[in-house]
Parts: sequence; structure tokens; C-alpha cells
Amino acid sequence: MEDVQVVAMLVRRCIAGDSAAWEEIVQTYSRRIYNICYRFAGSGDDAQDLTQEVFIKMYRTLSSYDHTKGAFVTWVTTITRNLLVDHFRKTKQDRMTDSMDTAASDHEDAQPLNEQIPDQSAPPDARVRQREVSETVHHALGKLSPELREAVILRDLQDMDYREIATVLKVPEGTVKSRINRGRAELARLLQRTYRQVM
Amino acid sequence: MPDHTSNGMQCNEFDSLLSDALDGVLSGAGLGRFQAHARTCKSCGPLLAEAEAGRTWLKGLTEVEPPASLVNNILASTTGVDSQRLRTQVRSPQPRVSWLEHVQASFLEPLWAVVRQPRFAMSFGMAFFALSVTLTALGVKPADIAEVSLRPAAVRQSYYRTQARVVRYFDNVRPVLELQAALRSIKRNPPAEPGPAKQKDHKNDTTQQPEQKQDRNYSQAGNQLILAGDPLGPSLRDLPVVSVTTDRRFV
Repeated sequence: MEDVQVVAMLVRRCIAGDSAAWEEIVQTYSRRIYNICYRFAGSGDDAQDLTQEVFIKMYRTLSSYDHTKGAFVTWVTTITRNLLVDHFRKTKQDRMTDSMDTAASDHEDAQPLNEQIPDQSAPPDARVRQREVSETVHHALGKLSPELREAVILRDLQDMDYREIATVLKVPEGTVKSRINRGRAELARLLQRTYRQVM
Repeated sequence: MPDHTSNGMQCNEFDSLLSDALDGVLSGAGLGRFQAHARTCKSCGPLLAEAEAGRTWLKGLTEVEPPASLVNNILASTTGVDSQRLRTQVRSPQPRVSWLEHVQASFLEPLWAVVRQPRFAMSFGMAFFALSVTLTALGVKPADIAEVSLRPAAVRQSYYRTQARVVRYFDNVRPVLELQAALRSIKRNPPAEPGPAKQKDHKNDTTQQPEQKQDRNYSQAGNQLILAGDPLGPSLRDLPVVSVTTDRRFV
């Protein structure tokens, strides 16, 4: 994933005040962090704000990173996850009024989920259909509990290994695997239910 | 999850192996026992199918493209520096620039940015107006400034010339002031009746007197000698004998 020595050098340059090194870190990790935030928070605007917050926190605490304790990407993901948990707690009240069918995103029209299921009778357009399926899965992912959601995001979307995920989530590897399994199964059930309604 | 035992495997064990099985790292006898349990267990069989389906759905999700402004916003909120500027400073090879362009980029452009502000323009205008009024009041002309020579000798010469001018000015002013003071005193104390004053003045007025009256020897004729043995009286006897012949005139 990353060359430990190269990243350690980059971090040292950052701490020494090298703006170019910091920009390189931002360029390297912003896409990854944005995707984690987007998949967890569900909204592009929230993801952008959260990504900025993650980097602000990283910038302030960069000197606390110890490359002997773990990979930089794990450290970055831990910061991201902690901020996402905080964000989830803050916005919990807002989400309590949401329902599966009224969830909206700024990446598509605010249609109910069952209206977004691809119409089988429509002429096949692979790209459009793929996009619609992705949005459907994205909304379903947002309905998972945060513990399951973060586990499947880190495993299936960010391709982190179980040990790294265990470090980030601060739980044993067995718990990580269990959450991933339950998360995947719950997602499949949600999607099957949605498709069944449409069919 | 219920803790059933089916085909020599408990559901808990199945759950712990589920991830490895989906990742494809389970093999051999372990994989056989796992698959056998999935076929016979009513809860684990559907769980395997759902987990597999869920994994497939998730793998179908592609990465989303972050907004183009994200990196700039992050850099602005952390270092306060725009990435575009950083890029030009650090990454791009520095093109050769002439000293004129360097001066323009380093000094003139920032200076021009300040000058363009209305507040500065207003202040500069007021300062220029005040300076021009002051110079006009002092009698300084632009032509004079153009003729100024900055050689040390010229500076010294202009210093002495200015000093002399100032001294002369005050010397010229003083009589005027004295004259004005005299006029004021005359107005305040008008002169008395001309009778005795005129006589007194006349006594001192020697302009109408013959030339010989102006001599030091007031009692003798100009060419008359005074002898030492001449009995002139006790008071005059002590005086030295002086022979004065003078042509001095009082102006």
C-alpha cells in the first residue's frame, strides 16, 4: 500500500514545515478519505466537509504519528473513522426521521429508493443501469448500523486487511470478521427486500 | 447466531470461517466441512448466500470522484496556501526571468496592488495636495529644484548663500521695525512746543557755524599759539600746551 520509509520521510518533511510535502500527502490520501466519508455519510457535501475536517486534524496531530506503531494509511483511516463516528452521533437525531424510501443524495435526484430500481422493460443502457444500481447499493449501505457499515466499507471498498481494520476499529479481528459478515448479509437482505417491492 | 453443530462444525466456527471462505483462503478439509455445514444448517446456509450476495453488491460500487476543489480547499484550510501557487513554486521548473521581470513580480505588482486601493489613492492625493500648498507658500518652484546641484562644494555654497540671505533679510527687517516703533512712539507722545526745544536744538546745531568754531580750542583763534610762560590764570596754567591745526570735518 505504501512505502513506510517514503511516507515517514514525507511526514518528517511536513513536520519541518515543508508545504510541498503536505500537499503531496493531501493529493495522495484525499481521494481515499473522501470515498470513506462519502460511503459512510451518504452525502457529497457532508463528505467534503468531513474530508476537510480529517485533514485539519491530521495537520494538527501529524507530529504524533509514529511509523513504528503502524502504517500511515491506518493512522489516517483511524482519524477518519473517529470523525465519522462523531459526525454520526451529532446527526443521529436527523436520521431518526429518515426512512429507506425518502433518503436523498446530491448525486442524483431525490427519488425514493424503490423508484430508483432499474426498469427491466427499459432499453438496456449498461452505464446508466450501473449508475442506478450503484446508487441503490449506496442508499442501502446507509441503512446499515454504523458498526456494520464501517466494517464493510473498510473491507470491501477500501480493501484493508482484517488486522488493519481491527486496529482502526479497536476491536478484535474475530469481531471484525463477524461484523463484515453480518454487514454483507444485512445489505443483501435490504436490497432483496427493495427489489421484491418493485417486482 | 444459534450454536448448532452440523457436520462436525458449530455455527460460531462457521461464522468465523465465513470471511476466509468468501476471500478464497479456505481450502482442503476445512473448506469441505464448511460447505457441508452450509448445506445442512438452516441459518448458516442462507447467511453464506446473503453474505456472498452482499459482498458482490459492494464490490460493484466504484470509487466516486471527489470535487475538483477539494484539494485546494483542504490546503487553504490547513496551510492557508493555494495549491496552484505551491505548484508553481515547487514543482514546475523555474523559467529564466530577467531582472526587470523579477523586480516587477517582487516589488511592482505588490506595490501596484496596494496603490490600486481607493483608501491609499485618497491618502496619497491629500498628501500631495498638502505638500504642493506648503511648497507654494514657501516660494519653492519646480524649476529651482531642477537646478539644484548635489556636489559637496555646491551644497556648501548654497548653505552659506542661504545663511547670508536669511541674515540679510533680518537686517533689512530690523530698520523697518525700528521705524515703525518710532512712528508709534511719536504718535503716542506728540512733540512739545518748539520754543525752548528749538533753542536747545539750535545750540547743538553746528551746521551754520563757521568752520573755526568746530576746533577743539574753543577760546583761541585757530592759528594763535599758546605759550608755556604766558600767565593765563591758575586753571589754564596747568594745561599742556597744545598746538592744533586740523582740517577735520564733521560729516
